[in-house]
Amino acid sequence: MTWDITGLGAVASIGDDPRKIFDALCVGRSGVAELRVFDVSKYRAKHAYEIDDRAVPGVDEPGRATKWLRQAVSQALADAGLDSSHGEYPILVGTTLRELRSAELWWRHRTPLALPNLHFGGALRSGFGTAESHTVASACAASLYALGMATDLIELGFVDTVVVAGTDSITESSYGALDRLQNLTPRSVRPFHADRRGMLMGEGAVAVVVRKPEVHGGPVHARVRGVSMNCDGAHPTMPDAASIARAIRESHDRAKVRPDDIDMVITHGSGTKQNDLAETVALEDVFADVALPPLVTSIKSSAGHTCGGSGLLSFVMGVLSLRNGAVPPILGLDDRMEEAADLRLVHGEPALGDLSTAQIHSIGLGGINAVAIVEKAA
Amino acid sequence: MSAHVTGVGLAVSGLASLDNLLRPTSDGVEPSLNGKGMRHKDRASRLALLATGHALRDAGLGEVNGDRVAVVVSSNFGNLDTACEFTDIIHTETVTGISPMRVPHMSSSVTACWVAIEYGLRGPNLTMCSGTPSGLDAVFWARNLIAIDRADVAVVIGVEPDTIPVAELHKANGGHRWLDGAVALVVESTEHALRRGVRLRARVGGYGKGPEPRAAITSALGKYPRPIELCVSASGAAGLPAGVRTVDLTNRLGRCSGALGVLQCATAVAWFDESGPDAVLAVAGCVGDGEGDETGSAALVLTSPRTALREDVA
Repeated sequence: MTWDITGLGAVASIGDDPRKIFDALCVGRSGVAELRVFDVSKYRAKHAYEIDDRAVPGVDEPGRATKWLRQAVSQALADAGLDSSHGEYPILVGTTLRELRSAELWWRHRTPLALPNLHFGGALRSGFGTAESHTVASACAASLYALGMATDLIELGFVDTVVVAGTDSITESSYGALDRLQNLTPRSVRPFHADRRGMLMGEGAVAVVVRKPEVHGGPVHARVRGVSMNCDGAHPTMPDAASIARAIRESHDRAKVRPDDIDMVITHGSGTKQNDLAETVALEDVFADVALPPLVTSIKSSAGHTCGGSGLLSFVMGVLSLRNGAVPPILGLDDRMEEAADLRLVHGEPALGDLSTAQIHSIGLGGINAVAIVEKAA
Repeated sequence: MSAHVTGVGLAVSGLASLDNLLRPTSDGVEPSLNGKGMRHKDRASRLALLATGHALRDAGLGEVNGDRVAVVVSSNFGNLDTACEFTDIIHTETVTGISPMRVPHMSSSVTACWVAIEYGLRGPNLTMCSGTPSGLDAVFWARNLIAIDRADVAVVIGVEPDTIPVAELHKANGGHRWLDGAVALVVESTEHALRRGVRLRARVGGYGKGPEPRAAITSALGKYPRPIELCVSASGAAGLPAGVRTVDLTNRLGRCSGALGVLQCATAVAWFDESGPDAVLAVAGCVGDGEGDETGSAALVLTSPRTALREDVA
């Protein structure tokens, strides 16, 4: 079966709704800036793609990931023409870090932290009336995992409509851990660049409304054809190209498409040496026999790595690419990595064309992979 | 496609064996967290690895195609210690003080990843962090992964470590006792289990979620025709069937949080192992769980394999 996407919502450093984010990607605007609240003397990296919304500049506050989640879900429900107050729709939230930033502020500064506020159930119940929410923390593949879980819920006949979301705010512990792990110090994310220096975190939330096709008569943005999910089971920090290729092939099987049906790929493209190489190898493998391989891009050069929400944000940008016939470019890709010589990487200007099917990657720490196939609504 | 529990593993402070869930003993036991694969892991992951090993052996799953085995972890406080300790290290020593070996622990999914790596489990890898209903949710999602043919087997793990930040957070929120441990279930497609000839321990039945226990229970029971013989729940939860024996794990173990629902399912298995007949109702996410997490309730029906097979045939 296929699943209708009837509502979109998103908030990120480069825009506070999906259209503004897509336009920012297309004109090559970046959300990168110097760290706004962390003590820069404690880190080697100094930059991130934060949302600049703190009440007092330079002073952090709890609950930001929850706040953006509510914004994104509200946007998606409104876009789908659904009343948000009755709570009849389950909400699945993909997140890497939950409200661990609120936990850090509790630990360091003794701001109050109630146990339920580590997850998003309370905010979703008070904001949208739903008691049926699930916080899915499958690393940075979490929100595409949540999309796959939502399609399963509908296919198994439990519900007709699910809201899928993702959200993350940057924590000191994850920013610091990443900084410790990376040999070089990036000032921006440069996917597939010869001189890429690693990943920088971003902030934001994203949401989509997923519906069983027959149950509504409203407009449809796009149709999900299938979502795969797997795990390398190999290494805690190094991605595995063969496992990523396995996830791509499984997504094609589930979607009942062939490699030559894919017009565009939004990669995970996090700008680390290992990730971009592993994705390149996987793409070269899967599309080896295709005469005109798909266009390839990443949105992280503009939006940063928005962690658990990043896969679904790529998905929403993929939906808008299909609707607009335009694939946003990778910002700053003036010298591509040698291994990616044969990829049709989009750079400079958006690539225009009649696009029907997009492939979206999400690759989380610990080798957690998800791949979604989405097609343009007729 | 129906699913059965075919293996259980425990690594819980104070529980020596599965039947201790039904009949507490006074003998305290501590999980042994040393040995192969335990170095450089956070406490939650070490507890989970130990419980998973027990569960896989219990299910006779030595040789299995890891591509078809999912991992579903439920934990609310699993990596809280890492987040808190890293911020302390950053402030005192800068990021150079963080051990690279501990970097993966920043992710809330770290336990599920270590389990996948240690046991070669390459199917879907889920971590649920949805408060006290999360453990029953995890069993529901495991069954879905099997029903939709993403996996033949799912290892479901409920884990909550007793670390310093976890203890402080509980105390700051009115807690006096809380769990230190992990429990793992092997949930398997019935067809796969019968083909292997392994003993079925409990059938995963109806699941419901709702704003309070009564709605979740009504939804979980659905049209289930037979009487419930045992409730595993906070006693006095609204909507529990009248006159049925209730086992309240939080009375003995304290707050179980994300591990609660998985421990409740293990209790059902212990009951069926002792030829307890028919059905067990598990309920998590109620006022009586004592965590102040009233964002929602979940309920799950587990049935005896003897009853269940008759239903599957019918």
